[in-house]
Amino acid sequence: MRSHHANLRVQGDWPITVAEVKAFLPGAERLRVDPGPRAGLVVEGAAGEKIGYAVRTMPESREIVGYSGPSDVLVVFDAEDRGLGVAIRHSYDTPSHVEDVTRDFIFMERWNGRAWDDIAEITDLHEAGIYGVSGATRTSDAVAQSITHRLALAAGGEGMSTPFRFGWRDGLLLGIVALGCLFAFWKAKSFQRWRWLYSVGTIVGLGFWMGDLIAQSLLVGWIESRVPWEATPGLVIFVAAAFLLPWFTKQPVYCQFICPHGNLQRWAMKVIPATWKRPLPEDGKWVARWIPVMLLFVVLAVSFLQLDLDLAGIEPFDAYLLKGAGLATIVVALVGLAISLFYPMAYCKFGCPTGWLLEFVRRRGGKDHFSERDWMGLALFAVALVLYLVPLTVFLG
Amino acid sequence: MAKALRSNFIRLVGLLVVIAAAVVLIGLPLADKRTERRVRSMLLTVQEGLQRYHVAEELYPKKRMSGAELVEQLAQGGFLEKTLANPWNGLPYIGNAGEDRLHYRTNSLAETYELVVTFPGTEEAEFRLDSTENQSLE
Repeated sequence: MRSHHANLRVQGDWPITVAEVKAFLPGAERLRVDPGPRAGLVVEGAAGEKIGYAVRTMPESREIVGYSGPSDVLVVFDAEDRGLGVAIRHSYDTPSHVEDVTRDFIFMERWNGRAWDDIAEITDLHEAGIYGVSGATRTSDAVAQSITHRLALAAGGEGMSTPFRFGWRDGLLLGIVALGCLFAFWKAKSFQRWRWLYSVGTIVGLGFWMGDLIAQSLLVGWIESRVPWEATPGLVIFVAAAFLLPWFTKQPVYCQFICPHGNLQRWAMKVIPATWKRPLPEDGKWVARWIPVMLLFVVLAVSFLQLDLDLAGIEPFDAYLLKGAGLATIVVALVGLAISLFYPMAYCKFGCPTGWLLEFVRRRGGKDHFSERDWMGLALFAVALVLYLVPLTVFLG
Repeated sequence: MAKALRSNFIRLVGLLVVIAAAVVLIGLPLADKRTERRVRSMLLTVQEGLQRYHVAEELYPKKRMSGAELVEQLAQGGFLEKTLANPWNGLPYIGNAGEDRLHYRTNSLAETYELVVTFPGTEEAEFRLDSTENQSLE
């Protein structure tokens, strides 16, 4: 009974296998559960001798969320307790970001040769020479914190996941929201003439530099895991403001002033000759209005059925990360921009599921009637309810 | 009248195209997931059959064989249902040629077994069950 309990405590719902450990310790033949405070697995060779030690970061580091979810990381040590390697076993984070981290050998090999206690004592990743992966900073930071937190807990420490951290990125995001609000509500000409600078700033700063665009992959990740308010308070307030401002003020502040992709389309609209522009026929508009709703149906299906589809690929926002961007998101971004050359703001009006959601929560005037948009929202709610209530076996066999 | 009809037709066709695109987006990963679940279920069923075979014969089947051959041998001995379906085409494994990515191996003394499902067109293992290191699919 005690052995079974120890096995459950150490291996949890996703046990480490010998095959996983063999990638780092080719001589591994057996894993023995360590019932001690480290709660890992003693790796044994053919003769039953200890040749290493392996731990996984879940469930202890479940609360450490990267861009949109936590990651389960395998950490393998040699017999002298020196790191041999780490591997991301499974992640609820955005797949393209996880792939970037996995492929960054400099980051993944930063742990090699470090003693268990040295890793457990890390409280500042930069001081320890562990730097985030460009284009996947939040995911890589979360992976690093998961490892140090897990080892610190086992070493009797508190880990490094609890403190509230308000960094310069958070401050910058709040500044961007505040400026966006000023441009939305303060209509003085002397101030509005600087809007072009703010617009360029959001494209370069918020888009290409920080990559903090509100996307379905982010929202779904947060809903599925949790909102990382203590690790990225600025981003949480940023997202909350994007939803609450249109609700309370009727102004679509994020879509009209802050969104880098929206601003890029506005620049395209200004730069291209007026003769290029075409009015979209009414029937075309009617059909195109269904595109974001259908994409939201896709989001619901992927989320409820846990399908293997990277939601970052259905929107253009990850393309701003350049290095970490997948092909799908780049294609969506470029095609959306190309279409907006002929049909101004086409992506915002007819392609953006996140924009549709933000527009859905926006308070309108005094007209109190059920609009087409409300029916679409009701249909989405009905689909979500069906996906929640109907047993998974009906869909997945 | 004709204009309204034309407009409705365009809207209907357009809506169907949008729905079709959404169905493709959902359908492809859904089909993969359904196949994966069927493969997992089939593997565990074959593993049970192999264990029943081992209890009766005190050895595992002696030669290396494909999934269809293994299923046929186990079914003939009564260790497995004859109706077990091939997860890749949904047809009964026995009597139907088709995609079969399941491979069975044993050691020289037939004391161990290894069930490997490979990725399409490769030798790389997608799922592995054996009598020593990987006794479950978790």
